[in-house]
Formats: sequence, C-alpha cells, structure tokens
Amino acid sequence: MTAQSRPRTSRIRFERVQEQPRWLMFVSPIILIGAALLVGALLLSLTGANPWFVYQRMAQAAFGDRYGWSDTTIKATPLILAGLGVSIAFRMRLWNIGAEGQLYIGAFCATGVALHLFSPETPAWLMLTAMAIAGFLGGAFWGFIPGVLKAKLNVNEIITTLMLNYVAIFWNNYFIYGPWSERGFGLTPQFPRNAWLPRFTDFGAAVPSFRGLTMHAGIFLALIVALILWVVWRRTKWGFEVSIIGDNPQAARYAGVNLARKIMIVMALSGGLAGLAGMAEVSGVVHRLQERFSPGYGFTAIIVAWLAKLNPLALIVVAYLFAGLLVGGDVIQPAGIAQLLQGVILFVVVGGEMMLRYRIRIERS
Amino acid sequence: MSDSYALEMRQITKRFPGTLANDRVDFTAREGEIHALLGENGAGKSTLMNVLTGLYHPDEGEIYINGRRFRFNSPGDAIAAGVGMVHQHFMLVPNQTVAENVILGLRDVPFRLNGRRIEENVQAISEQYGLPIDPRAKIWQLSVGEQQRVEIIKVLYRGAQILILDEPTAVLTPQETQGFFATLDEMRRQGKTIIFISHKLDEVLSIADRITVLRHGANVATVDAAGMTKPELASLMVGRPVLFHIDKPECKPGEPRLLLDGISALDNKGLTALNRLSLTVRSGEIVGVAGVAGNGQRELAEVICGLRATTGGVIDIGQNNVADAPPIVVINAGVAYVPEDRGAVGTAPNLSVAENMALKAYRKPPIGSGLFMDRRLMREQAAELIKRFDISTPGPLTPVRKLSGGNLQKVILAREISSNPRVIIAAYPTRGLDIGATENVRNILVDERSNGTAILLISEDLDEIFALSDRIAVLYEGEVAGVVPGEQADRDAVGLMMAGETPEAETAPAVTTPHTEAAPS
Amino acid sequence: MRKERLLLVLTMLLTFVMLFSACAAPAAAPAEGESSDSGDAAEAPAAESSIQIPETVDGKFNIAFVYVAPIGDGGWTYAHNQGREFLEAEMGDEVATAYLESVPEGADAERVIRNLARQGFDAVFTTSFGYMDATETVAEEFPDTYFVHVSGFKKNETNFSNLFGAMESMKYLAGMIAGARAAEDGSNRIGYVAPFPIPEVIRHANAAALGMRQTCPDCELDIRWIFTWFDPDLERQAAESMFDAGASVVITGSDTPGPVQVAGERGMYGIGYDSDTACEVDPGACLTVPYWHWGPFYVELAQSMMDGSFAGSDIYFDVDSGALGLLGFMEGQEPMAGVPESVIPQVQDLLAQMQAGDFTRFNIFTGPINDNQGNVIVPEGTVLTQSDLEGLSGIEGREDCTICMSWLAEGIVPDAQIPE
Repeated sequence: MTAQSRPRTSRIRFERVQEQPRWLMFVSPIILIGAALLVGALLLSLTGANPWFVYQRMAQAAFGDRYGWSDTTIKATPLILAGLGVSIAFRMRLWNIGAEGQLYIGAFCATGVALHLFSPETPAWLMLTAMAIAGFLGGAFWGFIPGVLKAKLNVNEIITTLMLNYVAIFWNNYFIYGPWSERGFGLTPQFPRNAWLPRFTDFGAAVPSFRGLTMHAGIFLALIVALILWVVWRRTKWGFEVSIIGDNPQAARYAGVNLARKIMIVMALSGGLAGLAGMAEVSGVVHRLQERFSPGYGFTAIIVAWLAKLNPLALIVVAYLFAGLLVGGDVIQPAGIAQLLQGVILFVVVGGEMMLRYRIRIERS
Repeated sequence: MSDSYALEMRQITKRFPGTLANDRVDFTAREGEIHALLGENGAGKSTLMNVLTGLYHPDEGEIYINGRRFRFNSPGDAIAAGVGMVHQHFMLVPNQTVAENVILGLRDVPFRLNGRRIEENVQAISEQYGLPIDPRAKIWQLSVGEQQRVEIIKVLYRGAQILILDEPTAVLTPQETQGFFATLDEMRRQGKTIIFISHKLDEVLSIADRITVLRHGANVATVDAAGMTKPELASLMVGRPVLFHIDKPECKPGEPRLLLDGISALDNKGLTALNRLSLTVRSGEIVGVAGVAGNGQRELAEVICGLRATTGGVIDIGQNNVADAPPIVVINAGVAYVPEDRGAVGTAPNLSVAENMALKAYRKPPIGSGLFMDRRLMREQAAELIKRFDISTPGPLTPVRKLSGGNLQKVILAREISSNPRVIIAAYPTRGLDIGATENVRNILVDERSNGTAILLISEDLDEIFALSDRIAVLYEGEVAGVVPGEQADRDAVGLMMAGETPEAETAPAVTTPHTEAAPS
Repeated sequence: MRKERLLLVLTMLLTFVMLFSACAAPAAAPAEGESSDSGDAAEAPAAESSIQIPETVDGKFNIAFVYVAPIGDGGWTYAHNQGREFLEAEMGDEVATAYLESVPEGADAERVIRNLARQGFDAVFTTSFGYMDATETVAEEFPDTYFVHVSGFKKNETNFSNLFGAMESMKYLAGMIAGARAAEDGSNRIGYVAPFPIPEVIRHANAAALGMRQTCPDCELDIRWIFTWFDPDLERQAAESMFDAGASVVITGSDTPGPVQVAGERGMYGIGYDSDTACEVDPGACLTVPYWHWGPFYVELAQSMMDGSFAGSDIYFDVDSGALGLLGFMEGQEPMAGVPESVIPQVQDLLAQMQAGDFTRFNIFTGPINDNQGNVIVPEGTVLTQSDLEGLSGIEGREDCTICMSWLAEGIVPDAQIPE
C-alpha cells in the first residue's frame, strides 16, 4: 500500500493515449507503411539483397502495368468483400473472426448451384445471380449461427466464429474429396462457362487492351457493396442503429433498438458478404471448389478492416495495398522470403498502430 | 514554495480547441482540510481535477504536493504521488467482486492473489472510515450508493492522501449523506486532504473548511466556509443573484396517463424489488417518488420503460397493457425517460450531440423517412435544441463524452422533451447539476407539466421533490408506503415513511392509501 | 474500449501467425544459394543474395519452372530441380532457366504461369498435376510460348504438351526386390504407402504387387491411403502401421523419405521414391529407390522447342528413355546392402531388357491378371492400352479406357479397397 512495501521491479505498461490529434489518424497509416518498408528493407539487406531493387520489382509486379493491376484487383476483390463483411460486425463491436469459414461456405453453396442444382445450360445471368444469392445465403447462415448464440444465449462470438471456421473447412474437404470430387483429388470438376463471372479478358475481342486481364466482375460487386455500406453508415436509420449499439448497447436498448434481432441480422450480413467473397473467388478465379482455395482471405480481411478503421472507402485502398503486397511477393524466390517480408511489414504496421493508440512505458520502482 | 499546503496548483492553464478550460487557476489545500470546489458546469472544475490526476497535461502551470514539484504523465503517476479521485461516473467492472475491483489496476499485485487477505484489508478500510460493504459482493449487485463506497475504498486502498470526490452526495439519501459526512470528518481527522466537488450549497457550507469557486475557467474566489451564505455562494458561481424558488402554476390534473396496478419485479440479484406496486400519474401533474436509494426506484423506472421484466401486474399507458412490451412500444406510446445513469444508459458517449439528440427521433419524420435519415436536418434540429436548452458544447458534432455532466443531462432532456411526450419518467434529473442548470431543468419540467404532460419524478433530493411535486409517493421496499399531496406534505411524515414507519393520522392528515388514490378523481 | 483492445490483440496475433508461418517455410527449404541462376548478369542486383527474382536473359532461350513445393523437399520437386540443373549444365550456353517454388495449385498458379509467359519466358514447365487446367488456359492465351505440364493428360496441337513416364516399370522391379526380401525374412508381407486413389498411384501399386509375386508367390501387399503427396507425419504413421501389421518392407509412393527412416528405426527395410537421394536418410535400411531423372527429357524438349519441331503431344516415356532410374542398378551404382543376393541378377537382367526397350509397361500389364478378390480382370492374351493404364475416358483425342485402372491386382491383400 505504501511506497516502501513495493518490490523493486520494472514493468512495461500500456496506457491509452487520451488526446490523439485528429491529423494523426490520417497521417499515421502513411508513416507506418513507410516505417514498415524500412524495416523490411533492413531484413532484405541482411539476406544480401538490394532492397530497393526488390521493392521496385514488387511494386512493378503489383502496380507496374495493367496486368499487375489486374492481378492485384483479383486479390483485392475477396479482401474487400470479406473486409466489408467483418467491418459490419466490428462496427457493432461484434468480433466476427469467422470470415474465412463464411467464405468457404459461401463458395460451397455457389458451387452446389453451379454444379448440382442448375443445369449447365442455364443462362449465365440466371446462373450467376443464383450463385451469388446462394453464396451470400450460405455465408449468412454461417454468420447467423454465432449470431443466434450470441443474441439468445450470450455465447461469446469470438469463440464460436473461430471454431466454425474449422467446421466449414472440414465440411468443404469432405465434399471435394468425397461426393463432389473429381478423380478423388481435392477439387470438384470445373464449372460450366455459364457459371464463370465475366472477366475482362473475355471481352478482349471487342476491347483489345482487355486481353489477358483476368480480373473479373467481382470487383464491381465489391465496389458497389462498399459504396452501399458507405451510404448505409452515413444516411440510413439502420446504420445509425448499428453505430448506437456499437457505442453503447445499453443506450441502444434504452432507445428502443431491438438488440437481439440486430445482432442476428448483423452477423448474418457480415457472414453473407464473406460468403459473397467466396462465391466471387470460385466463380471468378478458381472456377471450381478446391482445397485451400482461399489463402486466408478471411483472416487477412480482419487486418484490412481494422487498418481501414472500418471505413468502407478506406477499406478499398487498404485492401489494394495488401493485395499488392501479396502479388508483389510472388516474384521473390525463395517463397519463404516473400512471406517473411509480408509478415514483417504487417507486424510493423499493426504494431505501430498500437504504439500510436497506446503509450508504452517502462517503469522502475 | 510554501510548505504549509498539502497541495498547491499554481497558474494552471489548459486550452482545448476553441475553449480556455482553465485560465491561470491557483488552487491550494491543506492537510486535514475539506476544500470544496464549486462552479457551474463548464466552469473548469473537471479539467482542473483531470490535470491534478494526471489525465491532462496542463499547457502552463505547476503542481506541488507537500512542497515538491510533480509532473504527471499519467494517472498512474498521480496515484503514486498520493492523489486519488472518486469520479462521478464509476469505473468498476460489474462482473467482479468488490475486493477484486479494489485491487484492479494496482501496480504491485502479487502474481498469486491472496483473496482472503485482500478481503480483510477491504473490510478493515471500510470499518475504519465507516463505509459498510461486503467485499465479496459483485459490483452489479450493488446500488449506486454502494458502488460509490467501493470507489472511495479503492482510492484509500491505494494510499491516497489527497482525495478528490466528484459530486459524492448526489447518489446518497439524506441519512446516507449524514453517515458519509461522518466518514469525511474521520478522514479529515486522520489528516487527509479532501477536495469536495458539489452543487449542494447547504452541504458545502456544513462540511467544508474552505471553498474555491470557479467561473469560466478562472478562480473567482477562495473563501473560508464559515460566514458564507448560500445566496453569496450562488451569485459567485453564477455571476448574478439566484432565486431559490420555482414559480409553479396551479395544478390542473387531467386524465390518467400512466397507471401501474399491482406491479412486481425483481432486481439484478433476483430479489423482489417491486412488490405489487400501484400508482397513477395524470396529465398535468408531477408525481414525486421519494424514498431511500435502493427501495425500487431504479426498477420502477425500468419496468415502465420496458427495460425490465415484470413478475406480475399491469402497466397502462393510454389504453393497452404495456407490461413487458419491448422499449420501442413504450417509446411510441409517448413515454419519455430521463434515465438515472446518463453516461451508461442515456447516451452513446462517442456519438455526437446531434446523434444523441436523435437517439429516438431518427425513426420518424421529419428526420427519418423510409430507410434513410436526414442528417442535415438532424444537425439543424440539434443546433436549435442546443440553443433552446442552453447547452454548452463546441457544436452539434462534438462527441457527448466531451460534455460536462450537466450539459449531458441537458442533451437527454432536450431529446426527451422535444419528442412531445405524453408521459415523462425523470429519474434523478438534476443529480450532479450546478445551480443554474438545476434551475433550468426544474423549470423545464414544470413547464412540461403545465402543458399537460404527466411526469413521474424520481429523486433523492427531498427539496426537489417538495419543490416540484404535485403529489408525493413514498417508496419503501418496493411498495408505495403512502401518497401525500405536495403542498400539504410534511417533511417529517415523509421521512418516517421513507424509513418504513407508518405515520400516525394526525401528523400526516393527507395520506391516502395507494388504491383509493389510484382511482381517477 | 476493452473490446477494442481485445481486437487489437487479436490482430497482432494473426500477424504473428502469418509471420511464423512465413518463418517455417524457409526452414523447410535448405539454403540453395548455389542456384545456377545466380551467375546470370540480369540478376546482378540480387546476385550475392539467396534471393532471386525470376527474369529472362537476353539472347538465350528462357525456360521457367513452376514447382509445387520448396526445392529442398528431397523428393518430387527436388528431382525436378535436379533436372533443371542438368539442363543448365548441358545447354547453359543457349538456355537460361528460372524457377518459382511453393506455388499453390489453383488460382494463384494460373496467375504465376501467366505472368511468366508475359514476362517473355520462351517455355514454362509446370510440374504438378494441379497445374494442369491453369497451364492449359495460359497455353491458349500465349500461342508463342511453349508449355509442358508434368503428370497430367491435357495438351493442344501446337504449344502445349504433357509429360510423364512409366514409373510402373521401376515399381515392378522394386516389387521384385521387396518380394525377395520379404521371402528371405519369412514375413511374406510388404507395405505400400499410397497417396491418392488415382490411376497413377493404383498403377504403381499394382505393378509393385505383380513384381513382388514374381519373386515371392506367397507374399501379400498391404496398402495405406494417406490422401496427401507430402506430409512427413502421415507418411511415417502409415509405414509404422504396416510394419505393425507384419510387413518387413514398406514401399512408399509419396514424396518424403520418412517411411525409409521408420524402416531403419524398426530394423526393417524401406523403398523410397522420386529422387536418387531418398536412400541417404538410412542407407542400411534402404533397398532401392525408383527415381526420376528428368534432365535428359528436359534437354530433349528444349532442343525440340528451339529448332521448332515441338508439337503438342502426349509424351509418356519408358525405361529405354533413360529418364527413369532404379537406385543401385544403374550404370556405376552398386546394389544396396539389404538387397538379397539371389534377386540381383534377376533384376539386372530385366532392367537390361527394359533399357533395350524389349520389356515395357505393357509387358507388365499383360493377361492373365486377377484382382485381389480373385476375379479375372485382364484375360489371357489381352494387353492393357495406354488409356487403360492411365484410366482415361472422355478426353478429346484419346481413346477411352475399357479396363480402366480402378482395380487392385492380385497380391494386394484381399480386404484392401480403393476408397471412394
């Protein structure tokens, strides 16, 4: 209780910074990315490489020409959709970390429609609409389960969403190795052409500069959803209710918002968008369901949403930067170095974000 | 610097964008002194205390404790220097016990907790200073008054020599306040320095040794309490003479608007909080609910507003039974609710003033239409309300967490009253407000009542109950112990009923039983 | 605010996970600083580093290789990388090579392959079954680039071939050695670690069983399906379970030398796969390795591309091509210590016939052959066709199989089944 009785120790303490200047909020990401690249450069020089050269090639690969942009767009599409999905839940302080599972189930349902429910002759518009709806509903269902558990039984959604990821992945594996498998491999047969989201390259005959651009219509879907959400947060009653709940659930209840219902709807929507990401990925890129078709988009989406501070438009930018990092990393060999670099950059950005929000002090008594 | 002061704050200046919150404030306090800090909302009391507790860095000025200069970089530094604050808004973890909350955030907690020893220590402190509490009780089970005791114990446990108490008596009954003052006396006797922030001038005059008054961020006076009078203090605070009287037009009660019949409900601990309670509030009258805190006031308000389940009985607003209806039904039926806990229930702290004012109105035209809401109109309406209710805020887009308690309350009142309610449930509407704001709020309530609104006023402040109420219902252990007309009410009789004793016929001639009264007259 | 901090911690955690998974990857790949690309002038900026960025070299014929695993996997990808180095050594004056390792199958593969083509590589070799569709798609988009896909069955008329070889011939010989060993040990039981129930694997296991019966008519071949090509743990577990069931030799059909290692720990014998280094983990316990020697084929293909004679085709080589090896029996090699003396001349003799082209995979799969239930599958006098061996049907330009490779040969334990 008194100073004399305190043991002599040093400890690290995190204290929330009370007054953060507003400008810092906008400038901080830029500073952080710069710092991250510097740390990455240090790492690269340790391996003996010329960091400037490596970065230049990475940037070239990701944003250097229209093909790079196309590839980056392909990677950004699921990140935007799933990122928007988790950001909906995050706005309400519901920590949905099950986007990966929701994405898988969305892809699963879309695949079911493409391969088993609809005939291959179904007109493309109908097929794709049905797949998108199925993907959305599948993901929504996967988000709805933890939503109900949270709303009705107050089960922690972090645990349930995390666990359901594994259920979803094993569920998928059962089907792609079992009933839906092609020759016992971990993949289904290819979708009929009508179940492919139109790609830019498909219009290469009409627009020669589109030739070889495999980015697909999913990006438009992602941008439209981002725009809709932007309007929802700024202009709708529904978005307002979500922000009230996110800030103070008790006040929301007091103001007559039906909390339980909103939790379920928000979790379902959150999952639905991740499911849509899964649909876009199988229909636009992979053209079949296969094992590990998502390299963790659902998890990366959490980081993307967090760094974008849940702003739908900022999220597009962040998702593109991330996608660029992934695409750029492909050119570096051995593959492990690229992943290490990505990890370090991410670590510095996220860690730096924490430094800005919390003051770290080392104390000696 | 001088050694005779336990605390010396010199020329403290703190600027926020657009405001000068503290303007070269000097503030001193001696060992074994109770020093009251007075001032209207926004006068800079909170800022000054936040500087003292290390939450803010002053732009200019110095702090000395026992003659030694300190620079606080964090609340932790201030605690280490022996400065502790009991905030108006408690900072307790509801799911943990009293003892656990007391040691929470402590720097030198051993890895393995000795639960029993901590509980014994808590017990010892609580006995030493007369703060009765069960160290094993969970926070959520405690009344606001009990929670406050936990906060005080927390500060004492950390070895604070300088205690800052922000509106400590606001949550206490008159009896509890007497006990609390005994505690303060004891602490003063043991050499603690107590900074006492309050709006209740009577209390300040009775307990404080010295009084400092802030106005517009500056120290306007530091005086000895002895010899000061209420009006003197009030005019120092407000900068003009203040009337301690409310002009109330004659009561013209109309049709019953809120009918409670045999309502029962449980509290958070699962014990009976309301026991077959019956009560009627009519158009154009204020019914005051008096009672010692913890006798069902909170539950009464929550049950009416659909925030707490009933275990029996009927609530009639207009024509339908709305017992156990969701809150939205009650809101739509025209019931406005000024909740007891404005920070935790009544507002969303990070949302703007405008958004908080539209917390209910966003649904309906003119702000809401279809799926959308008109945020520009919301801001415009907020700007009008800010003007009409004289709310001091940088603007409608300021997050309400930056507002002082009184202005926060005005935001809530502005929201609730602007909805043109049929019924207002006002729980502790002036708690923690300064004189000017209190006057303001009371006038607003009286105006509403005169316009025909039915008002149920729950308050711990008997003066307020007596000043405003047309009828007074006394709540004791979840039942209405009696209802007396406001003008004829006798303080002693009400006090007895609050203590659970049935008044004798001659001391309280106007008492009626709840049921005979419940019939519309 | 409490929850917000929780999320922050969560984000940090995810970041850590990514970081550590990244760290794990290079650990699996032994430093391969001596990459033959490192001498190329165009890569000078990264020359002294272990990092390389695949680039074309002006004035040379540029070939890129896409690998599914790290080049240090000691198996399938290692063997392909040796082939690439062989190609560089043989044709270094005219040919420049580059590789991308650990490229996931599926969407990323297509992107990577397309980018290589776009970068101006003259040819792209993709070396995993899962790259088949991706290779086909990109081959269509880049008609001026050559594509070779290993282990699949798709091709086009001009610039896209598939490439595979009759490893079953070598598995047959390995089966003979294993049978002789089991007979000598008196266990009369052999195990086979089978990755996937696909025609390629079934064909190899059947060949091993048929070879085993040549030297040990009473022997039985046990089988474990592990549903992966590369999982050191699972491969070890499968081997252990078959040793537990009484086998004295385990042949592996998957990519790591784990089963050979287990054999050594048990005092039993193992037969590796893929690369001629697979015995090095425990030479005493290793009988032989049927391995790929891709180099010569790479050279041949590169030459056909450079002189314009390349045309899309199904390339399926047998032992006479020189691209298949059996450790201990090739030129300049000595049989491993555990190979029974009695069987050595027999194997040497048949291998010589194979190298001369007198004995091929079709000789192995000539009737009469029964399945493991005793039903006649290949009648007396019938020879399986190439389509039968590959279990192909419904593929344009190829005849359909009639006796498709979806049966288990006599000699495999009767209760063994091909999983659905």
